[in-house]
Amino acid sequence: MITVAGAELTGALEPVPGFIESNFNPLVYRAAVEVLTGREFDGSRLAVVVCSLIGDATTTGLASRLLVDGQVHNAILFMQATANAVLGYLSREFDLTGPLLSMSTVDDDPRDTAELLLADPELDAVLLLTVELAADERTAAAYRLLGRTPPTTDGATALLLERDPQ
Amino acid sequence: MTGGVVVTGYGVFTAFGWGEKALRDGVFTGTQVFAPANRFDPTPFRTPMTAAAAGDPDLVDVLGGCADDAVDMAGLPPGTAGATLLGSAGDWKSVTRYSRGLDFSPGAGVPGVLAGAVADRVGFRGPRLAFTNACVASASALIHGWRLITAGRQDVALCAGAYLVEEENMAKFDSGRTLSKDGVIRPFSLDRTGLLLGDGVAAIVLESEEHALARGAQVLARMTGFGVASDAFHIAKPHPEGRGIASAVSQAFRRAGVSGVDYVNAHGTGTPANDGAETNGLRAALGTNTPISSTKSTTGHMLEASGAVEFVVSLLALLDGAVPPTAGYTTPDPACDLDYVTEGPRRLALHRVLSLNAAFGGMNTAILLEQP
Repeated sequence: MITVAGAELTGALEPVPGFIESNFNPLVYRAAVEVLTGREFDGSRLAVVVCSLIGDATTTGLASRLLVDGQVHNAILFMQATANAVLGYLSREFDLTGPLLSMSTVDDDPRDTAELLLADPELDAVLLLTVELAADERTAAAYRLLGRTPPTTDGATALLLERDPQ
Repeated sequence: MTGGVVVTGYGVFTAFGWGEKALRDGVFTGTQVFAPANRFDPTPFRTPMTAAAAGDPDLVDVLGGCADDAVDMAGLPPGTAGATLLGSAGDWKSVTRYSRGLDFSPGAGVPGVLAGAVADRVGFRGPRLAFTNACVASASALIHGWRLITAGRQDVALCAGAYLVEEENMAKFDSGRTLSKDGVIRPFSLDRTGLLLGDGVAAIVLESEEHALARGAQVLARMTGFGVASDAFHIAKPHPEGRGIASAVSQAFRRAGVSGVDYVNAHGTGTPANDGAETNGLRAALGTNTPISSTKSTTGHMLEASGAVEFVVSLLALLDGAVPPTAGYTTPDPACDLDYVTEGPRRLALHRVLSLNAAFGGMNTAILLEQP
């Protein structure tokens, strides 16, 4: 497996339409755009994998606070609460009709998933996106439970991976 | 034929209770058990109705119980070097408890931690992944298990999905106006107004055929193929022509080298948008003669667990030669013109069945099961 393109983003980014309450989805989208723009590929033969241990805790926390405060939910939170919704936006822009996955793992290397997908003769490339947000009080407790230092910044990486022609 | 991926065990929990008998007695008779939620106050929401089992069971406990049942049925020894692949967004109740200032379990809200907890419980030592892609999450786990086994990287994969009705998602689906307006779910019917949430947890043992035969395991069915495709259309709405569904079905057929099935367990959420789009995709891929049903009409929508529970429903249909009905159907919709098995359960000799799911982001999965 070879890396044909990569990108790394941190900090606050311009919102993506429909994904305005959290930095999670803009990180996914803009990291993907940075790698895919200007590149030729067959969108039916490219898989996208979003890997995040915790996921979009900002949206989760906001929606939960609204719930316990008895306030009406914002429908935008319904849309952006699922980690894969932004992939619908991305897939429309780049006509990606292959597999779109999002996953969470503690110890497994997400590159193993990319390598497994590349064993599929119906796929040529995998866009692997890893995203974590700065920890809040709730997620910091989860990181500590796992013996890890809670992240203090929002960040994402994107790798465009293909089979090694050798 | 050898060299395939087979099913050797399963465990299942729904609003009907534990195990296959509860599922047969409920889903296969078209029984609807929707009632006002009593795990939380449902009065703020568009409908109070959900399909929930009695009490307020703990997600980790139910998931562990289903995993135990699956591994026991498969007869796998402790310490099996299998993969554990889960479809789940985590235990939402831990999030709510935190927001209310109550004691909470920090790990239960993290999907990857749940996958590890299941693996530790059954003693599986292979990869541990949680898929979080909403309503195709546990179908994605099953497909990943197929990939691991077919690629020769694992002999065994425990593939599971878990969702229990709680108020965080009730509120989100309420705000998205996807819950049934009148508290009734009627997939494919002209008067359908939306979905209802339901409890669902299932765990399935997939295994390489060689491994299963070598240890003398009973093979329940073969998973002969899958398709996974995206609509490239919208963040939440399905492609109106069912582009991704049709593509996923065609891909599953291509991988399995087949051209049709005897029954389709549809995604069939009961929302106006899903059922029309799914019908269009199925018509394009299959024509109009294949029996189709939505068992969400009895279980409710089990979100990340849908793929795993409906895999078990499809498996039981195959084993029993019985197509479960689409319950609640009242009125034909010109946009939904297929054979939805609305008259009650239908006895049929089934050789091959297809389980479909779809999710936000325009994702679609199709899984083929065949008689062993």
